[in-house]
Order: sequence, then structure tokens, then C-alpha cells
Amino acid sequence: MMAAVEVSEAEKVYILHGIRDDLRVDGRGCEDYRHMEIETDVVSNTDGSAKVTLGHTVVLVGIKTEIGKPRPMVPNEGYLEFFVDCSANATPEFEGRGGEELGTELSNTLYRVFNNKHSIDLKRLCISPGEHCWVLYVDVLLLQCDGNLYDAMSIAIKAALFNTKIPKVFISSDDEGGKDIELSDDPYDCMRLNVENVPCIVTLCKVGHRHIVDATLQEKACSVASLIMSVTHKGTVTCTRKVGGGSLDPESIFEMTEAGKRVGKALHAPLMKLLEQEESLGKKQQKVGFFG
Amino acid sequence: MAGLELLSDQGYRIDGRKATELRKIQARMGVFAQADGSAYLEQGNTKVLAVVYGPHEMRGSRSRARHDRAVINCQYSMATFSTAERKRRPHGDRKSTEMSLHLKQTFEAAVMTQLFPRSQIDIYVKILQSDGGNYSVCVNAATLAVIDAGIPMRDYVCACTVGFVDETPLADLCYAEEGGGVSSLGLALLPRSSQIALVQMDARLHQDNLDALMEAAMTACKGVSKVLDEVVRQHLQEASMLARD
Amino acid sequence: MLKSKTFVKKTRSGGVMKVVREHYLRDDIWCGSESCTECKQESPVLQKDACIESNLCSYPHYLIPDTNVVLHQVDVLEEAVIRNVIILQTVLQEVRHRSAPVYKRVKDMIQDKEKHFYTFTNEHHRETFIEREPGESANDRNDRAIRVAAKWYSEHLKGHQPDGDELRVVLLTNDLGNREKAKENNLLVFKCEEYIKSLIANPELVDRLALSSDDQNDITSNKVLFAEHLPLSVIQTGIKNGSLLQGTFRASRDNYLEATVFVHGGGEDATEVLIQGLQNLNRAVHQDVVAVQLLPQSQWVAPSSVILQDEGEAKDENANEEEDKLQPFTAAQKPTGKVVGIIKRNWRPFCGMLNVSQIKESTRHLFTPAERRIPRIRIETRQASALAGQRIMVAIDGWPKHSRYPNGHFVRSLGKAGEKDTEQEVLLLEHDVPHQPFSQAVLSFLPKMPWAITPEDLEKREDLRHLTVCSVDPPGCTDIDDALHCRELEDGTLEVGVHIADVSHFIRPGNALDSEAANRGTTVYLCGRRIDMVPELLSSNLCSLRSNVDRFAFSCIWELNQKSEILKTRFTKSVINSKASLTYAEAQMRIDDSTKNDNITKSLRGLNKLAKILKKRRIENGALTLSSLEVRFHIDSETHDPIDLQAKELLETNSMVEEFMLLANISVAQKIYDEFPDCAMLRKHPAPPPSNYDILHKASKSQNVEIHTDSAKALAYSLDKASVEGFLYFNTLLRILATRCMMQAVYFCSGMDSDFHHYGLASPIYTHFTSPIRRYADIIVHRLLAVAIGADTTYPDLMDKHKQSALSNNLNYRHKMAQYAQRASVAFHTQLFFKSRGILNEEGFVLFVRKNAIIILIPRFGLEGTVFFDTKDKSAPNLVFDEAGPTLKVEQHTFCIFDKVKVTIRLDDTNIQHQKIRMALVDPVVRIHSRTSAASSCALLKNGNNVFIHLPF
Repeated sequence: MMAAVEVSEAEKVYILHGIRDDLRVDGRGCEDYRHMEIETDVVSNTDGSAKVTLGHTVVLVGIKTEIGKPRPMVPNEGYLEFFVDCSANATPEFEGRGGEELGTELSNTLYRVFNNKHSIDLKRLCISPGEHCWVLYVDVLLLQCDGNLYDAMSIAIKAALFNTKIPKVFISSDDEGGKDIELSDDPYDCMRLNVENVPCIVTLCKVGHRHIVDATLQEKACSVASLIMSVTHKGTVTCTRKVGGGSLDPESIFEMTEAGKRVGKALHAPLMKLLEQEESLGKKQQKVGFFG
Repeated sequence: MAGLELLSDQGYRIDGRKATELRKIQARMGVFAQADGSAYLEQGNTKVLAVVYGPHEMRGSRSRARHDRAVINCQYSMATFSTAERKRRPHGDRKSTEMSLHLKQTFEAAVMTQLFPRSQIDIYVKILQSDGGNYSVCVNAATLAVIDAGIPMRDYVCACTVGFVDETPLADLCYAEEGGGVSSLGLALLPRSSQIALVQMDARLHQDNLDALMEAAMTACKGVSKVLDEVVRQHLQEASMLARD
Repeated sequence: MLKSKTFVKKTRSGGVMKVVREHYLRDDIWCGSESCTECKQESPVLQKDACIESNLCSYPHYLIPDTNVVLHQVDVLEEAVIRNVIILQTVLQEVRHRSAPVYKRVKDMIQDKEKHFYTFTNEHHRETFIEREPGESANDRNDRAIRVAAKWYSEHLKGHQPDGDELRVVLLTNDLGNREKAKENNLLVFKCEEYIKSLIANPELVDRLALSSDDQNDITSNKVLFAEHLPLSVIQTGIKNGSLLQGTFRASRDNYLEATVFVHGGGEDATEVLIQGLQNLNRAVHQDVVAVQLLPQSQWVAPSSVILQDEGEAKDENANEEEDKLQPFTAAQKPTGKVVGIIKRNWRPFCGMLNVSQIKESTRHLFTPAERRIPRIRIETRQASALAGQRIMVAIDGWPKHSRYPNGHFVRSLGKAGEKDTEQEVLLLEHDVPHQPFSQAVLSFLPKMPWAITPEDLEKREDLRHLTVCSVDPPGCTDIDDALHCRELEDGTLEVGVHIADVSHFIRPGNALDSEAANRGTTVYLCGRRIDMVPELLSSNLCSLRSNVDRFAFSCIWELNQKSEILKTRFTKSVINSKASLTYAEAQMRIDDSTKNDNITKSLRGLNKLAKILKKRRIENGALTLSSLEVRFHIDSETHDPIDLQAKELLETNSMVEEFMLLANISVAQKIYDEFPDCAMLRKHPAPPPSNYDILHKASKSQNVEIHTDSAKALAYSLDKASVEGFLYFNTLLRILATRCMMQAVYFCSGMDSDFHHYGLASPIYTHFTSPIRRYADIIVHRLLAVAIGADTTYPDLMDKHKQSALSNNLNYRHKMAQYAQRASVAFHTQLFFKSRGILNEEGFVLFVRKNAIIILIPRFGLEGTVFFDTKDKSAPNLVFDEAGPTLKVEQHTFCIFDKVKVTIRLDDTNIQHQKIRMALVDPVVRIHSRTSAASSCALLKNGNNVFIHLPF
């Protein structure tokens, strides 16, 4: 994976020893996340948006809804599309087409994790079977990159989906059987998504003999390989993948999975609480955005 | 259906501003720790992030290096969700390439590049939300980011997009105005010396109206410069307070 | 100062799009009241002592009308006594969205200083802006916004009032819900009617009230006569999926139960849908934009050739029996349909007369508009007896589904019917001809008198005063646009100059004088009256190229060889001194008088010779010469009554001047198009669609003459060939018919169109350059040409093709209306003429044959009239109509086109509104056709009954 930093041998040893003693460079334990800030509804011309700051990693997700045609195999479902923009803002390496490879890799994974009926009720996105459905364009914008992109992105996506307001439409049909889509006149009249089952991604990095969550770029540089897994609020693992160049033995995969389940399950409740709290404030909420 | 009335008889524009009024400008410098300089700027609903890396060694081909000054490298891109209709790609299209070039030209005129021979300065701007005057807002944000990076400039570069409706120049056009058949002019100004860093106009405009339009653009740019100056002073004050602690 | 709030709006463009706009709220929007000490306004609009005598509101007050009150009661609001009105931005925006004409009128009122109308920008005021709430409809939100603003005003004004005569605001709304909510908020609120009726000093205002929907129930029976109109949303869906068609409704002038809808869009194959019968017409009024549904093909019929006027009484019952008269006819079927909804009403105030109800005490009366295409309108007035016999204006308010006629209200009186001034006013109003005296603002841009040419002027112009220039015009012409000269050069070639009044020197772009001229578009010539496009000082003096005075001109100078071929063309701004202002006849006499050999005559002879060659060449190229019988009245100089009628005769000199004007126009058109391909103002004349020629083909075949219409040239050639032994007038009649097949020539902007061809003149490009005093298009062309030769500078609007295109549209409209007004004026004078003549016997020709009537042309008077054969009293003769001919067999006699007939002509003034020239057949004698039945069987066709065919180019 790109966007890596160079770490000297001495630094590596220091980091490894710290992790061995469950005391990481920034003072965290092995299963601790860095400070995280979540804010929704940050881009007003999207239908749903969220900004997540995790350490120095900053991710902005915007969701736009469009009316499209259902996929032929599943005529009664809508679908999600993912696009990850690794912008040059994050690092000059991404300038021009530099971020494309990473972007494609990330968006493919996101597609696998989120675009299925277990995570979102895709049937609700259908407007008229075989003809019209909602397509949710989930666009992820990577603004600063300090490790653990997957986790930050997945939390931002879940928050943005929670925030998404799909305009209410109804089908009017005329005598000749032609169908037309009418938009509700009331801007407040919109459909919300149930995000209860949307998983979060937990990345576990194997560093030395232990594994850590939410690795910084430096820690990442000391890791041989990592495991990403998507975990629901019930602790169910819906997807898991090994990433990185090195190899992992089955036993540590087992251990890491167990840890991932634990950490992942624990992520959801506070996230949902936070989102609901923000929602309840409604318009009174003072948006911070990038002024924070 | 009746189109939009861009300027009412009472002198108000669609969004309630008067002809010469700018949109509300809010900005913050130093939003990202990893970049050498960064700034976030909102001009009405147009929201831009600007990030500066450098001056640093030339990346890639060294042949582009200049022995007497720094090379300014700009990339303009738009978030795919920034426009009302979703964009398919953030950059690489003709318009963003042109915009990148305009930014490069603008900042070459302002940054004291001769102080950093054989090096490179990267300016990346990202439109997060687009509501008219994209070029101008990018210039304003990038100015703050360059200042945040501590790179010396001759002066602030302030830009504003102005248009001409019913014989009246309108300052700082929003998207609805840009789209409403107004001939618009983008101008980047070094306000203290009243030097023009870039002027760009694609639409047809009668020559008789050009002076009035340029005049309005320069006044608007000076208005922008006041706000930017305020932001910089505020930022320095906060920074020095932090340093004192 | 700026507060920012964003609101969300969704629009559709294919799919769904979220649009976010900023909305700034301000606290520097002032209340506009004189009595306010808090607001920092410079010139308050609303008066301190806003008093009007009302028994509802005895205190000074400002009015706040809601949107519907403004839309429907604009006539009342326009009354001079209604002042100190606050128009909220919310209201203004809604009005703008819903009715462009009302919006324009409201804006005019706001600009009128006397009216004290103030626009309060409430949507951007910090304290009066409200956001739409969940579950609230857009209308409810706006009503609430109006109430909030009214509330704000009442509290705001309360603040700084010396106690005593406290200023209050009064909300006017006819919406019950709105009124109740307003009362809950302690606002003063009234129904508009209620308030107007309370105005003690002005009872006449009540007549001008539009009937609101809850009043309408008692004015009409409850029997539902018409199908409900579909709601707009359903219509839009229907249009999109093609089940409904959108088009402009055009009522038939001849038959009130028939109309055509010109379907919009589709470009080339723009279709017409025929609508027949009261039910299917379904309350559409002429010029409305409507949605129609096609009937099944089995019900398609041909347009009826019946001429039918609504003379029924004000009963709703007789609607059905009238339907019987529409027997479907099988030949040449057209798609028929029915109106299912109204997309946009295009109602304006109509001129006409009151049919006073027979019930003496009744306040409800029927109003008959002067325009036959408009249905009669039911109005309520208490001054019926005063209004009887007067020409009045009435506006339509609505047409409920259970009413045979639309409901309306009285707007104003124009004067006694039949009087020349009243009638002229009527025809100017009916044709939308701006005819008010020029305002002070306009006059202020005239040159100061005494005017003289300065040395600086001369420096910039070519001095052509030494040339022997003269003008040739109709007698009595005071606005001389053009003058000519011709001289032989040393090398044997001829120099010809066309000198056109340099109006654009005096009318500078953008000032009030220019805007007024642009709006008027053209000078309108009525019998005995001219409505100038530019003030008289210019039209008859400074711009007029009178003889023996120095005048500015824009000259087009050619060098021609003896074969009239152009060797060189140049354009220049000049100073000329015309040596003579001649009439056509005078010029002709000089040319013909071989004893005369002065410079003027030589110049005229040279011009005449060249013109003949030019004309010949033009005709060889396929230009059309069509016929127009123009009639000129000799008007008594004292009484302005017509005393004699004479067909205009055409002299060689007419065509001489015409040829050079055409040549100048073509040369200029080419020059400005070369210079400004995007924004040249040109004139085109489209070729008519082949079907237009049907009547011409049928008519000529009846006389065994073949007319070819494949091209202009073929048409011109076969018209020249067409003759019938012993029927001298045949050729002229054919040409009259051919003229009626033509399309209208139009101005357009070269950047907006690709087809420039002028069919009638057989020229690839054409414009108008030669009459800037009386046509605005020529002024634009002058300006363009002046820029092209470096004599003047451009200005923004001149180079803007969209603005120019909009201007062209206005000019086309004004020209069309001017022509109609002209015809109407001739018709009126024809009536005056016949009034004093009693009954005349004349010879005429059958011009058209209809199903129940023939239309006859009287060449001597250029008069066209209809002779009906069926009558109301059902004693109709046996009629057999054959579409193929077309022929009409009345009892024993069969009428064909071009039949020679003898008729009696007299004026029938029994109906003062529609005075008619009655024609009755004398020869051939149709058996049942007695004088008594003739009285009800003749009528005028069209507005004007004269063959006053304006050549369309």
C-alpha cells in the first residue's frame, strides 16, 4: 500500500518493544483507537455526508442519490456505488493518477463490504421493479492520510448512510401504462435508511508477536501483514481479508479475528449513540466542519 | 415558466445580496497537520480546501527544475459530490486542467519564487462544495495555505468573479447567477499594488461595459483581501497565544 | 449585516437533483413609511396621511393585498384612489410566476410615484423571513409569510406613532383560512370586495371588482355545462407521454363553435387540431394555451364552412341545439379533439359593448366584445343604463363550469359607440397599438430648437448638397424617408444614390426616446390619422428629407453600367439638400413631358430607365408581383369624413422608387451580414407550404387555367400567363387569391436562424433600411451599417443576438397589429362612406364559396362581403355544397369562384357595435332571396371588409 513512511531500524525496535508491552508510542494500548471525531451533514448539497477524523487521518464521505435502472439479476433492489478519491491533498504522491490504484483497491473492498442486502435493505431502494431504483453513490474523499484508512472510511460511510435523506417519490402511471416518477412537493418528506446492520471495518496489524488496531503510519511500517474484517453490531463477521505483503499463521488469524470481533462490536453502540444525539439536535446543531 | 430574476427592482439579488456585496467569507488556516500549509475557505456555499507542500526538491523529472526560481505545481480537483449533479471523476478533465493552469499562472505572479531556486511548491486545491466562483475561491484559499506554509508572497492574491446584469455589475457570483446567462469575469488581484495576476472572461461582453466590470471586480477583490487579512491576523494571534502557553 | 441561511430546493432534470442556494437575511430593509423614524430610508414611498374614506377603516392605513387579490383585482388596484399599498416580495414573486401581464402592470404601478406602492422585500428581512415547516404546503407557507410580514408592519408602525390617528395595516385576502388565521394574530383583515365596497366616496370601484369564486354561484345556474379542467400536474404528465397535446387556442372568427389549436413543438410537422362544439371548446378563449385530447379518428371531420355568429340570448339552454348545425363533412378531414385543460390563460381587457339585460332592475348583463373570436362576457354593473351605447372595456375573471359565458367586470368606458374618436380608440386598443402622447422623458431627448448643422457635423459627413437629389412620395407625405439622385459619370457609367433620413443620428441607443420607438416598432397609418413612431419634430421635420433644406442622410451610392449592373457600392453618412419633393404623379409628368430637360427630370429619367431593367431582371429571377387593391379615401378636411373612395393607381414612378429601395435594402443586408454574421437584423419571407395553394389551384381550374406553384418563378410565370377570354378582371382576382396563400415576412436576427431566403422578392438576403422614420428595424439596420463603415460605435444590446431576437419578435408583432389596425380603420371609414350613400348597386365577383354563404369582392370599392343563404328563421333554402369545386348550389343556381354577380350594398347600423355593410344579391336571382331575408343574411368577413391586402413583404 502506498502512502507509507520510512522508519529507521532504531525507531522500529522502539515501536516493537512498546507494542510488546501494550504501550504504544502515543500511549495507547494495543486495542485502543486514537481520538476520533465524527460529524454528519457537512456538505449541504449531498443527500448524506459525514466527516471522520481519526488521529491525523481525515476522511469525508458524501452520498448522492440518483434514479437508475435496477441490475437485471435483482430487478427489485437498488444498489450502492463506491468511489474513493485519494486526493493529492493527502500526499503529493497521489497527484495526477497517482492515487488511482489505491482508490480502486479501496473502493472494491468497500463495495464487497457494504453493497449487500445484509448490510442495507436494498429492496427499499427499489422504486418500480425492473425499471427504476435508487442508486446511492458513496463517494469517499481522502483528505489526510495517517494510517487505518479502512476503519475511518467505514465509520464515515455508516455515519453518512445514517444521515442520508432520500427524497420521497411516487409512481404515476397513465392510461397507456407508461410510468412517470413524481417528486414529493414537501422537502421534509424523505426516506431514511436503517443502518443498524451496516458493519464497521476493523483493521488489525500484526506487529511482532502481537496485533494492534488503528495503526499509525509508523506502526504500519513495522507490520508484516494485516487483517481487515467487517463486523456488525452483533459481532458477526461479514467479510475478512488479509492485506499486506507478509504472511500470517492460522493461529494468529484466529486470535486477530477474535480481537476484531470484540473491538468491532464495541464500535457500534457509541457510534449510533453519537449519531442519534446529533440528529436529535436538528437544525440547532452548530456545524463545525473544517473550522474545528 | 419565468426564469430567475437576477436583480430585483429594489436592488436585491436572488440570494438577497445587493449588487456589490460579497458572499459571507469564512476561513481557517492550518487545518491539517501533515501538510506544510493548509487552509479551508468558504465563500457562501462554495467550499474549498487548499494544501501546500514545499518548497521541496523536485519530484519526478528534474529537467523541469529552474535554476533561478521555484516551480509552482498546481492541481485543481473537485470532489465528485461537490456539484448538484454528481461528477464522474474529480480531475483530469479539460476544465480542471485549465483551472490548474490558471492557478499556476496566478501564483507564479504572486509567490516570490526566486527565493527557492531548483525547488518545487505544490498547491493542491479541492472543491468540496461548488456554488459558483470556483476559481476565485480556490485562489483565495490557496493564498491562505501558501501563507500558512510560510512561503513569501509579494502580496495576498485575492480573486473574485463578477458578472453583468441589467447594466449593473454584480460582485461574487453564485452558481445560479453564473448559470443565469450572465457574462462573468474572473479576476485575481494583488490588492496593494492593484496589479492584476490573472483576468479571464469567456463570455461576450460589449467593450463599453468592460471598464465598469473590471472596476467592480477590483473593488470586490479588495473586499476579499480585507477578510483574508483578518483571517491571517486572527490565526497568528491564536498561534502566538499557543506558543506562549 | 449579512445573515446566511441556506434552504434546500429540489429540481428535476431527468432525475432528482438537490439544489442548495444561499439566502441572506438583512436588517437594512426599510419599511418605506414616511411616519417611520426608525428606518434609515432616504425617500419613503408610503405617505404619512394615508387616508381614504372607508366605513370599515376610519383611520389612515396601508393595504397589503395577498397574491390572489393582486392577480384578480389588479384593475381595482390600478384605480387612482387606491394608494399606499405594500406589495410584499412573496406576492410579487408569485405574481411573476403566474401571470406575466399582471406582473408588468404591478411593476408599472410600483414605479408610478403617484400610486405610493412600496415593495417590501420581506423574504430577505431578518424578522419577516420564515422557513417552510414540515407538512406545510408551499402555498400555506407563502400565506404565512404574508401574515408574518403584515404582523411585522403593524407592530413596527405602532412603535413611533403619535397617539391619535394611528397608522395601521390592512391585509386583503379572499382566502377564508388565511383570514381566520390573520384574525387570530390580531391583524386587520378584510375580503377585497368587502373593503372596496366600504369606500364611501368611490362607489364606482365596485364595478371594477373581479368576481370572486364564491360570488359566482349566484350569478349562474348550477347546471354543469362543461367538463372539469384537468389539473396542471395531470396535464404535464399527459403531454410528456403524448396522450395530450399542448397548443395555442385560436377561435374561428367565422364560427363561434369552432376553433383550431396550433400544437406547439414538433417543428416542421406542427399540427393543427380542430375543435368543434361548445363542450369540446370547453371554456377556452382565443389565444389561451390549452391541452387537447385527440378524438378517435372515426370522429375526425373537415372544418365546417358554415359561418355562424353567436346571437343567442343569454340563456344557457340553447347551447345544445346550436350543435346541430355542425354536420360533419367527410372530405379533407382534420384531426379533431377536445380541450381538457387550460395551461395558460391569455386574457386581456376587451373592448366591446354592453347588451343591457331586458330585466330593468338586473345588474347582470352580457357584454359583446368587438373581437368576434372572444365569447360574450357576463358582467355585473349598476351603471348599465349609462353604459348602454358606449364602447367599454371589460376583463374576464373566470369561467365556471356551470356557466354558458365567462364572468368579468367593467374596466372603463371609451366613449359613445359609432363616434369616430371612440371607434379609433377602440381599434387602437384592440390592436395593442401604443398611442399615448410621447412622455416628457421621451421628448427631452429631442434636439433643441432651433437646430442647425454645425461645422463638426459637416466634418464627419460627406457633403452631397451639390447633387441633384429629389424625393418622390405619395401626395401629402410629410415624413419623407428617402430621396434619390442619378447622374452620368465621365466614363459613361451612372452614379445612383439612395439617401435615407439619418434617424439614428438623432435617436441614440438606450435613451427613453429610443426605448419608446423600439416599443412602438412602427408608425401606424390609419385613415386620416398617423400614430408616429417618433415625435413629430423628427418625423416631419428634422429627419424628413424635405426640399431646399440641409438634412442628414445615410447614403447608399452605386456605380451602375447602362445594363443596371452594379460595379461599385459604397455607404456614407452625408448631408444632402433635396431639390424637389415630388409626388408620384408629378414625377411621372416630368418624365413624360419631353419638353422638360432640367437636371431633376434628367435624373428621374435615368432612374426610371435603370429601374425598368432592374425590375425585369428581378422578375426573371422569380420575384412575385401580386395584386393589392388599395383604396384611398378622400377625406374632408373639415369633418374628417370620407367623401370619396378611389382605388390607388400605380404609376411607373411607384415602381421606380420601389426598385431602388429594394436594391438599397439588399445591398445593405449583404453588407451588415458580412460584417455581423451573428447579429444582423434581416427580413425573410418563407416559402408557403404547398397546401396553402389549394384554393388557388381549385379556383384556377374552375376556369381551366393551370397555375404552377412549385417555385416562386413558376408561380410568377403562370400568373402572367393566366387569362380568360372576355374576363379582364380574372388575372387580378387570381393574384388577390395568390396573395392570400403567402406567408408573412418577418424580421429575425441572423445569428438565430439559418434560412434567410426571401420568397416574394426571390432574394437570398433582405432587410429594411429605407424607412427609419416609420420602422424601428431600419434604425437598427442603420446603426449596424454605421458601425460597419466606421461612422459610429456599437453598444451592448446591438451585439447581443438574444436581445435582438426579442426585439425582432416585438417588431413582427407590432407590424402585424399595425396592419390589422389599418384594415379595421379602412373598414370603419368604408362604413362611414356608405352611410351617406344609401343603397348602391354594384357588380362583383365571387371570391370564396362557403357552405352556407358566398364571399363577394366589389372591385370598385375594393370591398369584400358575405352573402348568407341560410337564415335563423329556418326558412333556409335548399343548399348543396361541393367541397371539390368548391361550389354551392342554392335552390336552382350554382355558385362557383369567380362568378360575376350583381349586388346591392348598404350600411346596416341596427347593431351599433357591429355596423355592417349589407350585401344582397340582385343577379342571379335566387328564388327565396327576398330583401327581408337579406337583412339577416349579410355580414362582414374579417375585421375589415376591404381588399386592403398588404403585400406581405
